[in-house]
Amino acid sequence: MNPLAPYPCQRLQSRPTSRREMLARCAGGFGAVALAALRSDPLFAGVETPVAGYAGHGPHHRVRAKNVIFLYMDGGPSQVDTFDPKPMLDRFNGKDPGQLFDMEPTQFNNTGSVLASPWKFKQYGESGLPVSDLFPHVGQCADELAVVRSMTSEFPEHTFANYFLHTGSGLQGRPSMGAWVNYGLGSESQNLPGFVVINGGLIPPGGLDCFGSGFLPASYQGSIFKPSGTGVANIQPIDADPQLQRQKLDLISQLDAEATPAFGEHDSLESAIRNYELAYSMQMAVPDVMSLESEPEHIRSLYGLDAKYEPTRIYGAQCLLARRMIEQGVRFVELTCPNVGADRWDQHSNLKKGHEDNARAVDQPIAGLLKDLRQRGLLDETLVVWAGEFGRTPFAQGKNGRDHNQYGFTVWLAGGGVKAGTVYGATDEWGYKAVENRAEMHDLHATMLHLMGVDHTRSTFRFSGRDMRLTDVHGHVIEGILQDDPA
Amino acid sequence: MTDPRPLLYVVLTALWMVSPALAEPPAAADSEPPAASPEQLEFFEKQVRPLLVEHCYSCHSAGADRIEGSLLLDSREAHLRGGDSGEAIVPGDPDGSLLMEALRYESYEMPPKGQLADESIAVFERWIEMGAPWPEEPAAAEAAPLETFDLAQRRDEFWVWQPITNPQPPKVQDTTWPQTDADRFVLARLEEAGLTPASDADRTALLRRVTFDLIGLPPTPEEVNAFLADERDDALERVVDRLLDSPHFGERWARHWLDLVRYAESRGHEFDNDTPNAFQYRDYVIRALNADVPYDQWVREHIAGDLLTEPRLHPEQGFNESVLGTGFWFLGEWVHSPVDIRKDEADRFDNMIDVMTKTFLGVTVACARCHDHKFDAISTADYYSLSGFLQSSDYRQVRFDSIEQNRKVAQRLAEIDTRFQAQVLDELRARDIVPPREAEPLDDPRIVVDYGKITPEQYLQDGFIFGLAPQRPGKPYLVASDARSVAGEDESGEDQSAAEETSGPVHIATVAAAVSDPAWSGLKSQTLGQVRNQSKLTKLPKSGRTLRTPTFELVDGRVDCRVAGKGHVIACVDSHRLVAGPLHGQTIVPIKADQRWVSMNLARYVGHRLHLEFVPAEDAQLSVQLVTQGMDADSRADLDRRLDARQEWYAQYARAAERFLNGGDDVHPLVGQWRDQRQQAAGQIVRESRLAPAMLDGTGEDDHILIRGNASKPGEVEPRHFLTAISGNQPMEIPRGSGRYQLAQEINDPKNPLTARVIVNRLWHHLMGRGIVPTTDDFGFLGQRPTHPLLLDHLAWRFREDGQSLKRMIKYIILSRTYQMSSQVDPVARQQDPKNLLWHHRPPQRLEGEVIRDSLLALSGRLDPKLFGPPVPIHLTSFMTGRGRPGTSGPLDGDGRRSIYISVRRNFLSPFMLTFDTPVPFSSMGRRNVSNVPAQALILLNDPLVAELAQGWAERALQTVPGDGPEATSDRVRWMYQSGFGRQPSDRELEIATAFLQQQAEASGGAGERVQSWATLAHVLVNTKEFIFLR
Repeated sequence: MNPLAPYPCQRLQSRPTSRREMLARCAGGFGAVALAALRSDPLFAGVETPVAGYAGHGPHHRVRAKNVIFLYMDGGPSQVDTFDPKPMLDRFNGKDPGQLFDMEPTQFNNTGSVLASPWKFKQYGESGLPVSDLFPHVGQCADELAVVRSMTSEFPEHTFANYFLHTGSGLQGRPSMGAWVNYGLGSESQNLPGFVVINGGLIPPGGLDCFGSGFLPASYQGSIFKPSGTGVANIQPIDADPQLQRQKLDLISQLDAEATPAFGEHDSLESAIRNYELAYSMQMAVPDVMSLESEPEHIRSLYGLDAKYEPTRIYGAQCLLARRMIEQGVRFVELTCPNVGADRWDQHSNLKKGHEDNARAVDQPIAGLLKDLRQRGLLDETLVVWAGEFGRTPFAQGKNGRDHNQYGFTVWLAGGGVKAGTVYGATDEWGYKAVENRAEMHDLHATMLHLMGVDHTRSTFRFSGRDMRLTDVHGHVIEGILQDDPA
Repeated sequence: MTDPRPLLYVVLTALWMVSPALAEPPAAADSEPPAASPEQLEFFEKQVRPLLVEHCYSCHSAGADRIEGSLLLDSREAHLRGGDSGEAIVPGDPDGSLLMEALRYESYEMPPKGQLADESIAVFERWIEMGAPWPEEPAAAEAAPLETFDLAQRRDEFWVWQPITNPQPPKVQDTTWPQTDADRFVLARLEEAGLTPASDADRTALLRRVTFDLIGLPPTPEEVNAFLADERDDALERVVDRLLDSPHFGERWARHWLDLVRYAESRGHEFDNDTPNAFQYRDYVIRALNADVPYDQWVREHIAGDLLTEPRLHPEQGFNESVLGTGFWFLGEWVHSPVDIRKDEADRFDNMIDVMTKTFLGVTVACARCHDHKFDAISTADYYSLSGFLQSSDYRQVRFDSIEQNRKVAQRLAEIDTRFQAQVLDELRARDIVPPREAEPLDDPRIVVDYGKITPEQYLQDGFIFGLAPQRPGKPYLVASDARSVAGEDESGEDQSAAEETSGPVHIATVAAAVSDPAWSGLKSQTLGQVRNQSKLTKLPKSGRTLRTPTFELVDGRVDCRVAGKGHVIACVDSHRLVAGPLHGQTIVPIKADQRWVSMNLARYVGHRLHLEFVPAEDAQLSVQLVTQGMDADSRADLDRRLDARQEWYAQYARAAERFLNGGDDVHPLVGQWRDQRQQAAGQIVRESRLAPAMLDGTGEDDHILIRGNASKPGEVEPRHFLTAISGNQPMEIPRGSGRYQLAQEINDPKNPLTARVIVNRLWHHLMGRGIVPTTDDFGFLGQRPTHPLLLDHLAWRFREDGQSLKRMIKYIILSRTYQMSSQVDPVARQQDPKNLLWHHRPPQRLEGEVIRDSLLALSGRLDPKLFGPPVPIHLTSFMTGRGRPGTSGPLDGDGRRSIYISVRRNFLSPFMLTFDTPVPFSSMGRRNVSNVPAQALILLNDPLVAELAQGWAERALQTVPGDGPEATSDRVRWMYQSGFGRQPSDRELEIATAFLQQQAEASGGAGERVQSWATLAHVLVNTKEFIFLR
């Protein structure tokens, strides 16, 4: 038996390769395989000749962010209780909002009185950015944030809004942001997927299709990881004995070598054969990236892995994993929320308890992530995005909850070329509707792509008679939150 | 909130004072530019133009990169011309100007970045008020000319709209190669390019190819041997015939079809509720494919299967097959509790139009929802003309087992009633018991439905229990002995003694009403395979028991129904039916006994279109007289007085007649006969039935064009018609109802060049791996052009001439030599035509996920070949979580059923299938992606199901080829190659495999380990490329 080699099927690589194959192979990784499959498809006319080193169409302009970590705040955190303080709510607390401003129909149609935020706001850092007491740790990173207070969505229902936030369309079946990014830029990782969703426990309404590849090839689907154990499905060799699996892989390549000449030479078969090399290396890489024990103690506690509250530990592990994955070149990592027992950020009642629990789960881990990325010099090339699918009403639902509000809410971005310590846009004095520098989801998408070097109007895929885009026919880059280009 | 008025006041006052000329009365709103005064022009230049430049011109000027909404704002004429939503300004009338609406954020919100300051908005107001003065200036540079939409020109210039021709098969040099005319079209092109077709595939490859293509399962070793031994010329044809006759053919090809109709068994969205009985549609597709239903019939059944006067019946069970076809319309995503319910309907219709037009016509009509198609000869008007058909149609769960028989019974009952009513009336007349003159119908615009004057076309129901017509006052009706007093009048309490006095089998109606007939009591409807359904409607016994009012527009939120009996009334607003959430609960209201009026509070829906549905409680009767909107209590009391007076009009006659007919102790003999005949007919009612999603015709209506697709911006009404490019835009002649039957005829009409081309291209795609038009669902401008246009027409023509048989067309393609080419590529051909556009070889095909799984089942002996039935629950892994997760996980091996029978839950799709590119069911997907990802290798290597089935295959090998020793080992390996790959292993392969087995045996030893070694080998074979690729 041969000594253990990283790629058991290497002998198959000795076959002569075409220029096209060569190009794909140099690009390496998962995106390359997908692209090889695409290019062997006569229909695939949309892709330009790839720039060396990139498997997708490649960047259109300067790349500020190589990776994205998307902190998805499932359920819709309340803007007026987090990053958008509104003193008017204190003044008019308990008053009938119908007497004060025009109200739109809401999902639950059970509107109560104006509800002041139960939390105090403090100004943090040099920027003096106000952050509520829900996020004392994130507050310490205020100078890293670009807070967009004028985000809007088109949908007040979770599922529509989730699809919209993730895919740029309110309907099911469109490619997720992470899929688009990998389609455009390819993955830099040789042995991990380019789009990973680390599921803390709550898959959002709308289900796994929030992370789908839609009409893009399946290779761009988000891979669902758990923050513990084996991480991802089917990664653990079914053969308990690693020696046996290697023998099997060896036999597979031997028999393939015997049988494939009868097919003639075809890219599709070549790619399928190479999949086994990638699968094998992935089997090794995943346990590697999953092994959080290897992190030093101070890092583990920075992320809250030693917290008393279990959801904090779970989210801490997710954040730490996210950092480890982008270090490995995973292009887009999304984190879903852990289950805090009550509900996701969807406090139709008991706002205080529910928001407190959800914030407690994510606050320290997020701050840990930002600090860790900063100290490693990774934050400048990693875009961190914090967003829910919508915000919440400044008036109560029932007595002590808040209903969905898509007319104005807050998201923030950090690192990856955004202007740190800024506030962009504003809601009205009630924190209800965006009135200044109103931003749309499409704008957020356009901006994220822009920071990754992609022109959102040029990253297209032809489907159903149209050149589809993440931003559909909309979207403007939010210039106001971009770092000034020194050049 | 700061009050903007003081500031605005200052600005306006200031303007007023500085420029007296501005105080002139507004100019008349005509398009001729009024002579603007210098002051006005100065005002424009100083105040208006800078705002336009700063806030509007990046999207609405000739210099814009892309002009949004076709709206330019860089000249006065452009303002008047407006954009997609109409004129931007009405000079002199700010409040009537769309521009002001947009600036004020009343409808559009412009500029999108944030509302302008109040002062700036006031400037525009003032400007429009003074008549929108604009200086004379040269027209703005035509940098970005507005696209003009010329449908006729696009139709005339683009290939797909041209009629299908019957091209002569071209001459070829090598006349020995072609086996069919189709081959000549392919060969001619190759010869033109100086290329030669690849050699024929060897017979093992060919058999494997044909078997997978037709039934999606591997050929058995016996089938392989038989084919290899068959030296007759028509050996292949015999195989094709055998496979086309296999029931597995329908299963294989149904999966292709289900991709087109975004087939799923749940609704997705937040809670993934059931689409109840969706699998009945799946089974219908399998049966119809096996029965080779001609494609024109297939089209009719899908579009209008509920409207066929002679539906296709199941040959043995006799149920209505045709109606099941309409289920495809309703397989899409459904949303609970939408806040904007009209937009939700518009989105549902959009998906239905999208799927229908892509599936049958191969064009993307849905691209014309917001604007005329950017590239194709399809207008927005075309889109909304089609949506009218949907607006005129409803969803129901149809009792397809019973509907045909019960339709006959209903007619029979009506005949009996009519006959006896006439005789009874004669009999009464002979005794001078004469009905009074019929009263004038009520005339009050607030009465939106009056069953006293409803037309037969508007008397709509699912089922037959409300009879073929409403009860008419003065007419006799038989009543069940225990259901005497439901028709309303007796419960008024006016004349109890009279009611008692006249109790008997005959009742003379004194009011006009839709009344449920107790003869239909005891209907049982089966919903199978339920997982979760939170819709409040599912609990109501609606199927076959629902009266549907005509559709009307709600102008007042108060709706009252004058009823008697027990049951429910449902307001179906904008066709929303997934009532499960915080909103829309008020659309379902119970009707309790002794309630004369049932009130609904529909204030939320004023301005929407809706109809009501009345469902009697099980084994109770329900009578519906009137529906009103906007009537207060006083008006209703007044109406009651009028109705009571009318009732009294008939009461005396009714009492006399009933006394005579019901007699004292024995009833009139005529009544006895009537009762007997009725009972006999009612005995023929089929009371039990399965259910399936299907369409029901509603009120025939045309839809409004929605401006830029915005559901809150209805424009002109567009009459229903088919695509303008094919049959013009004259309103379709529709005798009654939705007109879907006429629509189906247009789709099937030989002058429509799309339908036949699209379907033969789909067959070609599935058999060859690539369509002649590679974009199978888009034959439009952005789709790809046919590689062999003449061949496409040849096939389409032949298909039409040959009775539209899918099976015969499939056979024709398979028997072509083109189909039978090998996958070996000639280097010259690869150089010259690397994408194989000319078909010089057959590229290897990767099997679909379903086929891979089914093959594993077949090889392991675990395959349960049972056809049809409720879906097997999906096996849930720990990675499949989220709202709506089914309560229980299905078996790992899906009970050995073929993949098409595994449940398809939108939010819990099989990771195995997704990884192998089974499409997410959201739109038509005639052409699957074929990706190549490591996750596929990981599944085949590590998925427990794959390992388990590989082990089963090994066990079967040990049973089939028993014994020990080198010979048995070799034979067993041979058997595995034959069963797995349809061929014998080469000597070298045999050698490698046996060496491996020997090594495994040496490493472990012991009889118990023997299975393990073979299981390991089987698992390895599953992971070789030949397992998932066809040569």
